[in-house]
Amino acid sequence: MTHVFHRHQALLSGLISFAVILLVWQLVVDLGFVKAFFLSTPTRMATEFMRQLKTGEIAANLSISLYEFAVGLGLAIAAGGVCGVLASWSRTLEAIFEPFVWFTYSSPTIAFYPMFIAWLGLGAPTIIAIAFLFAVTPIYANTLSGIKNVDQDLTRAALSFGARKTDLFIKIALPGSVPILVAGLRLAVGRALTGVVAAELFGATAGLGFAIAYYGQKLKTTEMMVNLVLIVICGVICTQILSLLEAATDKWRTGPGR
Amino acid sequence: MASAARTAARSAWPSLAPFLERHYTTAVSILSVLVFLVLWETAADQRWMNPRLTGQPTLIWQAVLEVFRNDRFFYHAWISFAEFGIGFVLALIVGVPLGLIMGTHKTTRLFLEPPLMALYTAPRLALLPILIVWLGIGIASKIAVVFLGAVFPILVNTLAGVRNADNRLVQAARAFGATQLDIFVKILVPGSLPAILMGVRLGIGRGVLSVIVGEMFVSQAGIGYQIMSYGQGMQINKMLVYALSISLFSYGLILSVQWLESRIRDWKPVS
Repeated sequence: MTHVFHRHQALLSGLISFAVILLVWQLVVDLGFVKAFFLSTPTRMATEFMRQLKTGEIAANLSISLYEFAVGLGLAIAAGGVCGVLASWSRTLEAIFEPFVWFTYSSPTIAFYPMFIAWLGLGAPTIIAIAFLFAVTPIYANTLSGIKNVDQDLTRAALSFGARKTDLFIKIALPGSVPILVAGLRLAVGRALTGVVAAELFGATAGLGFAIAYYGQKLKTTEMMVNLVLIVICGVICTQILSLLEAATDKWRTGPGR
Repeated sequence: MASAARTAARSAWPSLAPFLERHYTTAVSILSVLVFLVLWETAADQRWMNPRLTGQPTLIWQAVLEVFRNDRFFYHAWISFAEFGIGFVLALIVGVPLGLIMGTHKTTRLFLEPPLMALYTAPRLALLPILIVWLGIGIASKIAVVFLGAVFPILVNTLAGVRNADNRLVQAARAFGATQLDIFVKILVPGSLPAILMGVRLGIGRGVLSVIVGEMFVSQAGIGYQIMSYGQGMQINKMLVYALSISLFSYGLILSVQWLESRIRDWKPVS
């Protein structure tokens, strides 16, 4: 019962806090403390949102951004996962990958963006490549550490009962590393989204990031803010989906290892 | 295969063998980078790839000399560094105390967490155009975007660190008559230091990315500005010099925080 109450408490305070933000936002502009040019207002944004929805602008930009995000993330999961598994089998392969992984992890990948434009041209392929590079490192690193940190007792037990290497991988390493894999996925989703938006700010012809940059350069604050809020909502939805996934993949776990 | 290589190494150079034995992974890592560079060089030399699009290691080396001699490299580096430094220090000043307060004070957390989390999960680089409307194309908008990039990882990790602080220590301190302030200063702050440092490490990556993206988007000077102008002028080698130097800076900074983290982990008794 108290648990339910606490959940509602968090929800209520969250709603109140968003309502206060919207109200203050509307009021500071309406009462003339800040010019609408700088901030826009929630009501203006609502009308503008309806307009962009009707003209199909939002659908077009959103679908392009989501497409780039999905392809970049999908490629990152495939490549990062495969390389992570390979590296967990061989110390040599891990050492070969190591410097490049560190490089993509610590360097601001966007700095190499003009090169990608030169190779892949303006538009979706470049943005997918950037999103891929942003997302691949956490997938690789977490796959590797997830498989490496699998419970050695389980492995030994399985081996003594005659498990083969593929059995070990499918029945122990993979399920055992699910929490770390999902944590990696969570990081990757955030980074892929950042990659898509950041890359779209420069070299895109469509997409939410492009819309923000486009309207920003025309100093159309309301139009820009609508797309900005859409990006924030996308981020929140992605995180929520991942939380659900995390809960679902962790449910079967029992005992102290949980 | 690995052991075969090691055996071969042992028979060929007996004096090198123990070294390779101990630093096997490091040696392989260095070798892999060298192979990559040689492949890159020959691919450009043999025109397997167009060197105008991919650069070439030897030409990059020439570009390094040129950039340091004629390009006012340190002027641009200083501007980027100042933007990054000010934004990052502001992020620390705001992020750590706010995280500590939100971690200890439940009402504050309940009301501030939802909007802050919404911003945390969104790519904050998208705020760049509006920041430019507010603050202009100069240094202020870059400081703001660095701040926004770095403050959330720091805040979130500080918050997590305080909330995961060892409850037994708190109870023990309270039993021995510690005041709320004592508990805060002597248990919660040192206890959450590893988490704070992790936030700092994540924040560095975000901050460097933000300053570069901010400068590439619109600016009049800085490393990102140079990257964009050389990129648009198709001078890939010079562009790579700037891109690699900022990567090196970020890498060095992250490594030093990681070193600090390991020092603190050693100091913290294992529970």
